[in-house]
Amino acid sequence: MTVSDIIKESWLSISGNKLRSFLTVLGIIIGVMAVVIMVAVGETVQQSITDQFSALGTNTIVIRAGAARRGGIRSGNRNTLTITDAEQIRRLPDVMSITPAQSGSAQVIYGNKNWATMMLGTYPDYTTIQDIEVENGTFFDMTAVKNASTYAVLGPDTARELGLPENPVGEIIRIQNMPFVVIGVMKARGDSSFGSQDDMIIIPITTLKKRLQGSPFPDSVTMIALKIYQDADNAVVTDQISALLRQRHRLKDGDEDDFQITDMKQIMETMDTVTGYLKLLLIAIAAVSLLVGSIGIMNMMLVSVVERTREIGVRKAVGAKERVIIIQFLSESVLISFIGSMFGLLLGVGLSQGVGRFILHYNVPFSAWPVLLSVSVAIVVGLSSGVMPAIKAAKLNPIDSLRYE
Amino acid sequence: MNSEPPIVSLQKVCKIFPLEIGGQQQVLFDITFQIDSGDFVAIMGPSGSGKSTCMNIIGALDSATTGTYELYGKDITTMTPDELATVRNEYIGFVFQNFNLLPKRNILDNVMLPLMYRGLSPDDRIRRAREMLKLVGLENFESYLPTQLSGGMKQRVAIARALSGNPKLILADEPTGSLDSKMGNEILRFFKKLNHDMGITIIMITHEFEIAQYGRRLIHIYDGHITFDGPVPKNENVLLKLDKEHSK
Repeated sequence: MTVSDIIKESWLSISGNKLRSFLTVLGIIIGVMAVVIMVAVGETVQQSITDQFSALGTNTIVIRAGAARRGGIRSGNRNTLTITDAEQIRRLPDVMSITPAQSGSAQVIYGNKNWATMMLGTYPDYTTIQDIEVENGTFFDMTAVKNASTYAVLGPDTARELGLPENPVGEIIRIQNMPFVVIGVMKARGDSSFGSQDDMIIIPITTLKKRLQGSPFPDSVTMIALKIYQDADNAVVTDQISALLRQRHRLKDGDEDDFQITDMKQIMETMDTVTGYLKLLLIAIAAVSLLVGSIGIMNMMLVSVVERTREIGVRKAVGAKERVIIIQFLSESVLISFIGSMFGLLLGVGLSQGVGRFILHYNVPFSAWPVLLSVSVAIVVGLSSGVMPAIKAAKLNPIDSLRYE
Repeated sequence: MNSEPPIVSLQKVCKIFPLEIGGQQQVLFDITFQIDSGDFVAIMGPSGSGKSTCMNIIGALDSATTGTYELYGKDITTMTPDELATVRNEYIGFVFQNFNLLPKRNILDNVMLPLMYRGLSPDDRIRRAREMLKLVGLENFESYLPTQLSGGMKQRVAIARALSGNPKLILADEPTGSLDSKMGNEILRFFKKLNHDMGITIIMITHEFEIAQYGRRLIHIYDGHITFDGPVPKNENVLLKLDKEHSK
């Protein structure tokens, strides 16, 4: 018996009872489709989170002022960090660029337009750390920081909301009634889970502290952000920063840190693990429907063995060996499973890609493993659901089978 | 002198079936006979006499409880189910009372079935199956399904299937049981022709003396014992007398 004989015999048996075969195949189609879609959903979520963290850079470390928790109460707003801390951290060998930063809300006026937005005081290194590109004009330099110049770099949304001309460099805007010169507009970056990066104003940190906020502690900041070299070890640098800041802040052994260090790489790894589990959970839920589909195949094959008892008897009488009967019934269940898996794969990929691209306008990642999964499912489900009926068929006594009514 | 071994050689074959309610029942007692190549033997007996069990053993569908059975010189008493399947495929062609054709396969596929299990190439299978369909006069019906044929035609398809593997022996179990007398006689004449013209050995199981008369030799089984083995007698009375003798 050749492979083509086996496939032909299986096809003729399956197509002999079209409705029942279709309903059985439908179970596998739904199961595989559900798994493929869930894989796509899981990967999309994972990809989306990874993209957002990648935009920030995995070699980015953020230090925030204040202890994480003290006596059960968060106290993260205390300005325990200073610009001098940032300058000291810059001396660490693995630090590529660093900026102290302080945010605040700003009421901005241009002509008769009024816009409330977020304002951030930084160093020029902020562009390197956050991969910011300036589309029109330039970013301010360290001279502007030293001089506390009233320069402003605008997010593209802010520039649009204020009704600034297409090239707004040189235009004067008023922040908290203080005139600022627009020196650049950032390239659009889109929204992230950390908020809009396109609606903000960046000014020199010194300008923010001294001129706008008139702070009695102009050196203090709420945040320091830094980027380390790609080959540097995040954990080592984090430890070095921690030790340095504890020493500078004169913290004794046993004292809690008065700062929090957030390592983006660590967060991304954690998020990756979490989304990985989420993906597994989704697949597990979808796999239940696949299991139900495979039980459907087994049920159909068991019924088929009973219905075809006499046929099995005839086949045995004319020389079919037990293993040939087993192969025939197994190939029928594998063929049903294969057809179901292929249609399930096509529908699953089609729906996830179609809904993702045309309805959600999101580029759903396409990976090869749903294909591998479908082929594996076809073989594993087909074999596992067909093995019991096949053995039952093979073990039928030819005399009893031939007499079966 | 014929150097060929007998096609069928049964020596003291007994068959005992376990009963579902417990205990056991013996249906064949020390059955001994030989059938030579080219013979046409009718195995006759009333219902429950053990003739079908005897046929199942001869057809390698069942095995004897004791005794030995040699088919064409091979002892098949202790063969495994798969070895018996090979023996059936190579040596025996079955013709059943109810035809036993595969209802969803066309006539050609049905006739090719034993050849597929023998491992013949598709071309050889088709060629051989067409030859057999021509032999039984159904060469124009190869794409028909069994349900589209009359009873006599179905039985001719079954004969073509039985012959397709070029067997040493045709085993026909009540081959006219599902046919009217006209078609039945047609099939029996065909068997006679096959035996006479092609020298094919035929063993036919029947409970009717008129049908047994188509054979050259008759083995009569009664209550699991052979009560007659010889040329087919002129009338059934001889057999009935022997049965009565045995009952005493």
